[in-house]
Amino acid sequence: MSTDLTTTADQIDEDGLEALIGDRALTRDDHKNAPGFVIRPDEVQSVLFDLRDQAGFDHLSCVTAQQYDDRYESIYHLKTYDDPTREVSVVVPTPVDEPVSQTAEPVFRSADWAERENFDLVGIQYEDHPDMRRILLPETWQGHPLGLDYDQDKPQVVKFAQHANPLEADQHDTESDTMFLNIGPHHPATHGVLHVKAVLDGETVVDVEPDIGYLHRCEEQMCEQGTYRHQIMPYPDRWDYVSAGILNEWAYARAAEDLADLEVPEYAQVIRTMSAELCRIAAHMLALGTFALDVYGDFTAIFQYAFRDREVVQDILEDLTGQRLMFNYFRLGGVVWDLPEPREEFFEKTRDFLDELPAKVAEYDDLLTGNEIFQLRCVGTGILEPEVAKQYGCTGPTARGSGIDVDLRRDDPYGYYEHLEWDVITEDGCDNYSRVLVRMQEVEQSAKIIEQCIDLLEEWPEDEREIQSNVPRTLKPPADTETYKAVEAAKGELGIYIRADGTDKPGRFKIRSPCFHNLSALPEMVEGEYIPDLIASLGSLDIVLGEVDR
Amino acid sequence: MIGLLKSMATTMKHALDGNTFTVEYPDVAPDVSPRFRGVHKFSQERCIWCRQCENVCPNDTIQIVTDDKRNGEQYNLHIGQCVYCRLCEEVCPVDAILLTQNFEFTGDTKADLVFNKEQLKAVPWYKDIDPLESREPDRGAWIGEGEGAVDYQ
Amino acid sequence: MSTLEAAVLQADGDTYLLPERIADLTGLGEFGMGGELLAAFIAAFIVGNLMLAMTGVAGPWAKRKITAAFTDRIAVNRVGPFGLLIIVADAVRLLAKENIIPEDVDRPAYDLAPIVVAGSAMLGFAVIPMGSGVQLADPEVGLVYVFAVSGIASVGLVMAGYASSNKYSLLGGLRAVAQNIAYEIPLVVTGMSVVVFAGTLQLSEIVAIQAEPLIELGGFAIPAWYAFVNPFAFVLFLAANFAEIGRNPFDTPEAPTEIVAGYQTEYSSVYFVLIYLGEFLHIFLGGAIIATIFLGGPAGPGPAELGIVWFLVKIWAVFLLTQWLRSALPRVRIDQLIEIGWKGMLVLSFANLVLTAILVGVIVA
Repeated sequence: MSTDLTTTADQIDEDGLEALIGDRALTRDDHKNAPGFVIRPDEVQSVLFDLRDQAGFDHLSCVTAQQYDDRYESIYHLKTYDDPTREVSVVVPTPVDEPVSQTAEPVFRSADWAERENFDLVGIQYEDHPDMRRILLPETWQGHPLGLDYDQDKPQVVKFAQHANPLEADQHDTESDTMFLNIGPHHPATHGVLHVKAVLDGETVVDVEPDIGYLHRCEEQMCEQGTYRHQIMPYPDRWDYVSAGILNEWAYARAAEDLADLEVPEYAQVIRTMSAELCRIAAHMLALGTFALDVYGDFTAIFQYAFRDREVVQDILEDLTGQRLMFNYFRLGGVVWDLPEPREEFFEKTRDFLDELPAKVAEYDDLLTGNEIFQLRCVGTGILEPEVAKQYGCTGPTARGSGIDVDLRRDDPYGYYEHLEWDVITEDGCDNYSRVLVRMQEVEQSAKIIEQCIDLLEEWPEDEREIQSNVPRTLKPPADTETYKAVEAAKGELGIYIRADGTDKPGRFKIRSPCFHNLSALPEMVEGEYIPDLIASLGSLDIVLGEVDR
Repeated sequence: MIGLLKSMATTMKHALDGNTFTVEYPDVAPDVSPRFRGVHKFSQERCIWCRQCENVCPNDTIQIVTDDKRNGEQYNLHIGQCVYCRLCEEVCPVDAILLTQNFEFTGDTKADLVFNKEQLKAVPWYKDIDPLESREPDRGAWIGEGEGAVDYQ
Repeated sequence: MSTLEAAVLQADGDTYLLPERIADLTGLGEFGMGGELLAAFIAAFIVGNLMLAMTGVAGPWAKRKITAAFTDRIAVNRVGPFGLLIIVADAVRLLAKENIIPEDVDRPAYDLAPIVVAGSAMLGFAVIPMGSGVQLADPEVGLVYVFAVSGIASVGLVMAGYASSNKYSLLGGLRAVAQNIAYEIPLVVTGMSVVVFAGTLQLSEIVAIQAEPLIELGGFAIPAWYAFVNPFAFVLFLAANFAEIGRNPFDTPEAPTEIVAGYQTEYSSVYFVLIYLGEFLHIFLGGAIIATIFLGGPAGPGPAELGIVWFLVKIWAVFLLTQWLRSALPRVRIDQLIEIGWKGMLVLSFANLVLTAILVGVIVA
């Protein structure tokens, strides 16, 4: 990592990038969000190394893969942690008959899982990748479902016995002093169906490998089969399904509005901002409660208190959106409804919640952060160094708990955030405790944002309450427009890549899940720690398997 | 040690104040928001069989069967498959399909949750809330209209 | 379980024990050895069932109600008054379930473990003076006996953990052993500081000494309960006891979020009930020991006949305390737990013992 180079990096503009990549760029393939350079598959590492070390692009945000009729394509979406609006896309086409591309894993550790996913779903092989296995689908799956030649009618899973390699030696080692332990997929503390393969030496964790994919629901494919205008919006609610729905909807809304050049009325932006922050509070309350559950070990007080407080938020959201979890409240170009009538009642209810919040936060301080045993358990455990976090593409509270000052709401402003007063919270502890502190303080910041939004909404002139801009009933963005846009969801950077193919449905819809990348850093956090810390660290990452597996 | 005692004091305070936040559900009917989206209600009298709801539905929940003269014969809706996104209500030009606030529906098998047009019509209003009125005040539902044909032209 | 013990242990002449009283009341004493045995059996039956009834109330009902109070919920209230009949419903439900025995379990050990766990706690109650004349036996080594039999539970736990053929069970069993060894010593050593004060191991004697007033405050006599005489030892003993019975914040052997359910992961139906009962019995036995050696046993205001009521109140107070701690305290990690045990509690308990000995020596001198 070369943070010292960022001063020079800031001066590098598009021409500078062009010069830096030089002859290695075959052609340009600009996306709506960033300049794009097409390079040869055997020069991935050299280009990415240069971009990272000399141009300061230290964040491999997302790796998209897709198949065209004549080629496969991997797209590396690069950003910088300091300024996420500085973006560049590196496009790597590979021929259909031999889809082999050099791996980016030595440059960015986050490419490890991302490329495995691309191999799994699209079928691109990454040369020299340390662990080229399927990640979401079972080991015995046949074919690559997002590839164009995929035959849905043929049997997809073969028996394990048919699949196993007869020449492979049995890995079982009877002399070993370690014990292999399957934590999950049915375990009380895995926050869903996560399977962690752990190797233990006594109580010490020697090696862990998260095994994901149990909740893979083809969300990307489902979005590819829905129309931009209506049918995609209900689905983002179901990625991160623990009440972060509106934040997810915003990710899609932002990407699609960028793709189709839609304007959003200011009034709708304020409502969006308010509802999104309500969701963030609900999501962080749940994170807090389940983390306490992981450390305390029972469905005890804190979990229930957190749920009680989250319930109030959900009631407000229900009044606003009509649903408690699966909101479907955003529409392209605005939101579906204005605030519920009578508005005063809604404002009062929300204000009551905000007024009570400081007392509740103080209660959590008493229960959690002030508790000595809790500190004993959380301070100095699950250490995630900032350099490591950046390598793995960690974002959101996980990154901010490692002292990385990154928040897309501030750095890549959208909605109404730039007009409001609030702070980005960071903690330098890099441990489980810091991540809890970050979430708790973010709840307070969200409350601050909501309060300002309420003030704005209350005084908004009645004849200017435009909730949706005029959006055509059928949206057909021009073919081959591509964009990658991200928002700050509850768990971090939730990005959407969309490629339009000229129809009213996306040609490729890729979700960059923050949980997916945060979870990939788990082994770095827990190796050498004890099992209880493994559980606590997992809880502090606040993963939702629906979003990890999509 | 002070932190531990503070934690204990906090939980004991909650134990002694006697407040509960859970409700005794079937005995006490929960309040739902007027905007809440529950099971659908369908009016054959209003429907013009334009199939917009069927087309907009993101996961093929609605199935409409018409004869060769575009007269409606069947209107089936799988309330177990529905994601309650309310897009059908949103696109309906004549407010023939609405989402009531009802949420208490059960069935022994999947097939029990497939409602035909008569069953959909029989879905009761919840606590006499006008669903459309509460969501989009300029569109009122047909909650007070009673039975009979509606002249929407 | 406690019948044999009660009969075998020589009753001290000073106290009028329950078996003797039953023998006298029913005239069984006239039938010699056999009659006395029968009387002892009846007495043990009464005491044992009293304790089982308490766990029956505590497990399915009281624990739920208490937890609910701490978490602002309502809890069981549909079956019977205050939901009390849930005890019956739960009993039927648990016993009617299939007892699933995994294929690779180590059979005799797997089957014996629940009995050992529950039985060891029952044995302990044999020598506890519960007041109102309810005491089965009163051996001179009463305190040592209680510590000894309750320590048998560790054997049961490691049997359960090892025989279950499950890695989580194994971890739980090993944790239980490590924890019990680490905390048994401070527990016993702290108990010894009471013995230094009392000069006897006999539980009825310890109780009797505590009945004397410590100081008079405006006509209100504070009894010489060892909790008042030596509060430090009391706190130490409470903490060691919670570790010994595996309650929060020391519930690492079960640790639901870490190792699923520890040693009881593979147990179901009747076996599960036995282990579950055993745990509650151990909580109550712990409470009984604390009440006896620190809280004056059955002492309390009112006539002496109320002794057993006061005794039960004290036991339930300890139970309530375990639930209170459960609501508010996180679990310590296993290595921290061991560290607290060996580096903290052990040192403190020995310091306490030495100081007590010096203090007592000075007073006597």
